[in-house]
Amino acid sequence: MTAILLIASALFCAGVFGLLTQKHAIGVMIAIEVMINAANLIFVGLGQHKGAAVGQSFALFTIAIAVAEVVVGLAIVLLLYRSRGDVQVDEAREMRQ
Amino acid sequence: MSPLLMAALATLAIPAGMTLLFGVVPMLRRTGKPAAILSILAATTVLGIAGWLFATWLGNPTESLQIATYWLTMGGQPLGQVGVHLDGISVSMLLVVATVAWCVQLFSLGYLSDEPPNGLGRYFTYQSLFLFSMNLLVLAPDLMQLFIGWELVGATSYLLIGFWYPKPAAAKAAIKAFVVTKFADSGLILGLMVLAVASGGFAWDAPITPATAEIVAGLLFVAVMGKSAQFPLHIWLPDAMQGPTPVSALLHAATMVAAGVYLIVRADPIFSAAVHVREFMTYLGAFTALFAAIIATVQTDIKKVLAYSTCSQLGYMISGLGAGSLLGGYFHLTTHAFFKALLFLAAGAVIHAVHSNEFTDMGGLFKKLKFVAIAFIFGSLSLAGVPGLAGFYSKDLILEAVHESGNHFALFALLLTAGLTAFYMTRTVVKTFLGQMSHSAEHAHGPGPSMTLPLLVLLVPTIALGWAAGPFATLFGKPYEFHMGLVGYTAIALGLGGIALGYLVYGLGALAFLPRLFKPVATLANSSVMDELWQSVYEIGGQTPSRAAAWTDRYIVDGLMNFIGWLTIVLGQQLRKLQTGDVQDYLYAVFGAAALLALFGGWR
Repeated sequence: MTAILLIASALFCAGVFGLLTQKHAIGVMIAIEVMINAANLIFVGLGQHKGAAVGQSFALFTIAIAVAEVVVGLAIVLLLYRSRGDVQVDEAREMRQ
Repeated sequence: MSPLLMAALATLAIPAGMTLLFGVVPMLRRTGKPAAILSILAATTVLGIAGWLFATWLGNPTESLQIATYWLTMGGQPLGQVGVHLDGISVSMLLVVATVAWCVQLFSLGYLSDEPPNGLGRYFTYQSLFLFSMNLLVLAPDLMQLFIGWELVGATSYLLIGFWYPKPAAAKAAIKAFVVTKFADSGLILGLMVLAVASGGFAWDAPITPATAEIVAGLLFVAVMGKSAQFPLHIWLPDAMQGPTPVSALLHAATMVAAGVYLIVRADPIFSAAVHVREFMTYLGAFTALFAAIIATVQTDIKKVLAYSTCSQLGYMISGLGAGSLLGGYFHLTTHAFFKALLFLAAGAVIHAVHSNEFTDMGGLFKKLKFVAIAFIFGSLSLAGVPGLAGFYSKDLILEAVHESGNHFALFALLLTAGLTAFYMTRTVVKTFLGQMSHSAEHAHGPGPSMTLPLLVLLVPTIALGWAAGPFATLFGKPYEFHMGLVGYTAIALGLGGIALGYLVYGLGALAFLPRLFKPVATLANSSVMDELWQSVYEIGGQTPSRAAAWTDRYIVDGLMNFIGWLTIVLGQQLRKLQTGDVQDYLYAVFGAAALLALFGGWR
């Protein structure tokens, strides 16, 4: 069990690192996917540890929601590309205004 | 409730109702004449009630009736009353006010006949308001209601002086009168506060220590100096002559300016305990009497002569009250109200006839305006203190009282004033009614019946009121016996001497050096020295602290506010730099905060 938690934590930290450092929008989205999958790993692992199916079913829900999130995220990336001509997130600072 | 009290309440309700009626029905006010007639009818009713009340009190002089309710409380303790208080003093004053007001309103109908209907309606609205306010003052059960009436008559005075407000001089005079009297009235407010704190009420006979009485009386006297035009606060009264002449007769000669004297008579328990204030009153009254009489000798405007004469006679009353003669001061108030109103109305008839206030436009009017001239001459003789006429008796009471008080300066000043009064009134009579007729006097036309009748009515007390000094004294519960002392004979001699001298100088043209002798003193007193003095007092005493306050406001109070604003802007601009717009910077903050929470919150 401890091994699963350690792997999940490492995976989550890798996701956070990617989220904070990636300059390309797609890279940022991949980092988010990594973080979600770290959470999924904990759901499934804990479910197995406790002998309950609820962890696995939650992981399924999360995968479905992650798909929806990817759709929204890709739409934003597309719009970002259309309006700015590139998808570098550190260049898009319009929120400053 | 006694019918007497109900009648007294009606003297308040009727004029107040008229004012309200003219106020809310503009149609009535704008047509003028109906408003005038309604107002005069109201005044007639008030006069009838006042006469009935007075007749009742003559039969039973010591009776005192009161209906009043507390409306003002301080810390749960009842403080100020509103209602009516009837006794010998208030009832007789009510009759004086009602008589003069009735005469003046009737006279105004003729005097203001050239006025547009709109103006006439406005005038009678003010007149009704004045009658209500003055009755409120006169019938006051305590000092608080007197104060309310006092301020209301002040406001009416402002409105009536400025009646011809398109004329800049009238508008200025109205403001001057208002400002000067309000300045003085601050004394009344402070006096009331001290009285309320010291005695827990505003009663005339509030139980206070002599030391407190000195303070209260001193403060009240400041207001009296303003209202009753005593030196150095007399400056507004001559200017107030810009109002219509009947207004000058009613407000600025007979009733409103006498309110100060009435206040002292009413608040006698306070004033009689204040020995030093009373002594000051004796001096100041005598000085004002002499000072104003000197100025009156060089005036060329008939109304200004009468205005300074009013100042002078009010000084007489104040001086008499200071010397402790309640009866003398109050009796002189009464006789003065009648003969000065008569003089003003007669002067009004003259002004109406020649369309000018100046002596140069008059002269020789005796032939044209016989009755007016006779009325004016009788008024002058009464004012000059010719034996047998009303003014003589009341003046004598004051002179005797001042003599008994042993104040030689005041007695000397008042005797000299008596001579000067006779002198300047003779001068006025000669310049107006005798001598060479001026151009405009040749076209003079006589007054109508509405102007003649009031003169006739006022002529009666002007001549005969002095003979009623005995019954009058019973209203004060005091015995009165007429006796002539050395002072009385001196006053008669000076009065007759003044008349003779006046006729010699102005009637026969003899002793021409005398007016020239007067000239420097009088010119100095008549110049704007007093106004300029007050101007500098205002600048030093009023503007300097104001400037300091303005500076404090601008640089300290506003400065603090501006500093806070500046600080906010600077801090905001610094904080703004945190807002990079880069999503990943925000995420750093989010994860940093989550990590901190996890470190210090979760793994405790």
